[in-house]
Amino acid sequence: MTDFFANFLNPEKRLFVGYLISAAFIAIIWIRMVQKKPLANIVSGFFNSNIWFSKSAIADYKLMVFNQFFIKLLAPILVGQLALTLFVFENMHLLFSRPSTSIPVWMVMLIFTSVLFILDDFSRYLLHRLMHRIPLLWRFHKAHHSATNLTPLTVLRTHPIEAVLFSLRAVIVHSLCLGVCFFFFAGSVSLIEIFGSSMFVVIFHSLGSNLRHSHVNLSYWNWLEKIIVSPAQHQIHHSINPKHYDSNFGAILAIWDNLGDSCIVSEKNQEIKFGLKGQSEKAHNLKNLIIGS
Amino acid sequence: MFNKRFTAKAVPLTVVLTSAILISSSSFARSNVYADFPITLKDYSGSATTSVSYKGQMARHALESSLKKLISKGDVSAMQSYYSGGSADRAIIAPATKGDFVIMQSTIGELSSKNLSGKTYKGLIPGWPGNMTGPEVVAFMFEKAADAEGGYDAAHAYDYTQLVSKFLMGAVMYNQAVDNYLDEKLEADTKPNNKPYKDGAAYTGKEHVWDEAFGYFGAPSHTLTLTAQDVYNIAKQKDVTAADYNYDGKVDLYKEMAFGHAYYASSFDKGGKTTYLHDIVGAYMDGRDMLVAANATALSNSERDQLKAYAQVIKTNWEKVIAEAVFKYAGETYEDMVKIEAILESNGDVSKAWRNYSKHWGELKGFALALQVGGKDMGATSVRLNRLIGHSPLLLGNTQVTGVDSNGEYIQSNSESWGGYMAHMLKVQNLMVDEFAVVAKSHDQTAGLAALVDSLGAKSSAEND
Ligand SMILES: [Zn+2]
Repeated sequence: MTDFFANFLNPEKRLFVGYLISAAFIAIIWIRMVQKKPLANIVSGFFNSNIWFSKSAIADYKLMVFNQFFIKLLAPILVGQLALTLFVFENMHLLFSRPSTSIPVWMVMLIFTSVLFILDDFSRYLLHRLMHRIPLLWRFHKAHHSATNLTPLTVLRTHPIEAVLFSLRAVIVHSLCLGVCFFFFAGSVSLIEIFGSSMFVVIFHSLGSNLRHSHVNLSYWNWLEKIIVSPAQHQIHHSINPKHYDSNFGAILAIWDNLGDSCIVSEKNQEIKFGLKGQSEKAHNLKNLIIGS
Repeated sequence: MFNKRFTAKAVPLTVVLTSAILISSSSFARSNVYADFPITLKDYSGSATTSVSYKGQMARHALESSLKKLISKGDVSAMQSYYSGGSADRAIIAPATKGDFVIMQSTIGELSSKNLSGKTYKGLIPGWPGNMTGPEVVAFMFEKAADAEGGYDAAHAYDYTQLVSKFLMGAVMYNQAVDNYLDEKLEADTKPNNKPYKDGAAYTGKEHVWDEAFGYFGAPSHTLTLTAQDVYNIAKQKDVTAADYNYDGKVDLYKEMAFGHAYYASSFDKGGKTTYLHDIVGAYMDGRDMLVAANATALSNSERDQLKAYAQVIKTNWEKVIAEAVFKYAGETYEDMVKIEAILESNGDVSKAWRNYSKHWGELKGFALALQVGGKDMGATSVRLNRLIGHSPLLLGNTQVTGVDSNGEYIQSNSESWGGYMAHMLKVQNLMVDEFAVVAKSHDQTAGLAALVDSLGAKSSAEND
């Protein structure tokens, strides 16, 4: 259970209370200033039991709890990460000569933090795209897309196999990035951190990343949505409408979608229904989420 | 019972110490100086006042450190005389008096007219080319050292001073202690504790076995009263106050000097992460106290088990000290290779960096060979270590010595790339971590990497949208 609460107390996690609060503030400002709705409606909207206690949301909670037990099995994957990092570092010697001149630590930190961020984000995009495009993987990812209501907790509505795949992705990306950067910059390699988490990740989460799984369709200017994925764009990704299928796979950067021709920018006052076309009520049963129907 | 150390101190301190002894007399059972253990043999009739004796071991340390100086002089007969001769007049070339660090003895005979050859590990040395035994490797290195200017063969990057010194520390001191004295000589039927070691001796069989093993480690007898830094400074001849335990103004090579692996243990321990030196000397002390308590009776099985347990503490820690040295010099060799590559890329003069590379590799090789003569079968670890290091450093043109021909000349063959051999050094470091759980990790080339992996490992890695 401590792992469960860590989701809310750890600034490395999206569900950290600080990010939830900042998302709420951003939502209030957005709905009040842009959509001009009365404050009372906004607040009652936040505590709408039709959303928080919907079948879909309850399914989120069940899967979250189920995954808490499953996630323990991921520990050995993380152990393999040091071995893989060393492997990458050692093999770099066969390809390049080890630089003997040192560059300033701040520059190393900036390079490492940026490279890690870009590689991390790209690999998320790529795997997410594969989760949709490869039928076998879609069977697992479907569990996430069967949500008909989106709340910040929907981020944890993930099939355990998908969680494993994303962990493996992280191990590979981190090992590559660390092994290569350590080769070129040795001991000066470190992450620019805020609250013990990558600067970029903290900024992304502080700016309302939790709203992507919500009914607040916060959008950016269309030009910005071609660079960074807005909450409204991610809601399009969850849309039941076939014209929205296979779009906006990106996690933070929309650049990858833009290059891969899968970027759809938001429209003013878009009304989007979430879920899978033709899904039955049973889709929210834990058994169906895990084993499929 | 008060020795000079106490009488030399100011009165208030003696008062404090006396009362401290009175208060804690029961917990004061364990002595902290490896000296003056009483004679337990009832029938002893000689003039000795203590049963402790390990002068022969300290003579061998003095021979080894003197030989280290002789290698660069190129005189093979001098090298042989220190290695296998028996003359008492052989001068102690090192350690020699340096400023106020006055050495009591000046000839080997003042300690004991011993040699090193008789005690060199006789088995095959697979980590050195030419299928030679321990003494053959030494003789071969002497010849090669004499041919090379100052004991340094730049063409093959061999530093014979380091190679001979570090190999002998293993093949003589380490091997004798852990594979002989702390091994078969602890059995019931060899050197029993209810008989003199030899006729007329002031010590029992087991007492002397234990003392000889202690001598080979090379620690000052008062190590437990000193910090690792003190012992390090003694070996470096920088702190006469720490060395001169009996305040006679001289450093007694028998009891007050730090040599060999004890010096290396102190060099790692002074970093604060390890306590090899005190763990080893403490175990020697515990074993010796037990032998005093046995009072010249044959040891029971359980007593011998206890003694073997102390021996195991010594062996394990000693092995780790050598593994730490292998780790350290693999790291230094790696660093030298980074420098050499950079100098070559800028077309600079590589000779000084090459000299360091040869020196550090020589230490690496010497310690790696030493690690393998502890009498235990290291199996695959041994093979892996020897293959990773090879028979010589990687030479320019990416060749390595792979053998010795019938004329005793080195044979070179194509080998790894420069970076490939650097990766070997990293693997040597990993091997020392995996197989010997080294902790001090001097010159760790992947320091911080594990921490970086940890810090990234936990981050929201499983989260997806
Ligand atoms: Zn998706």
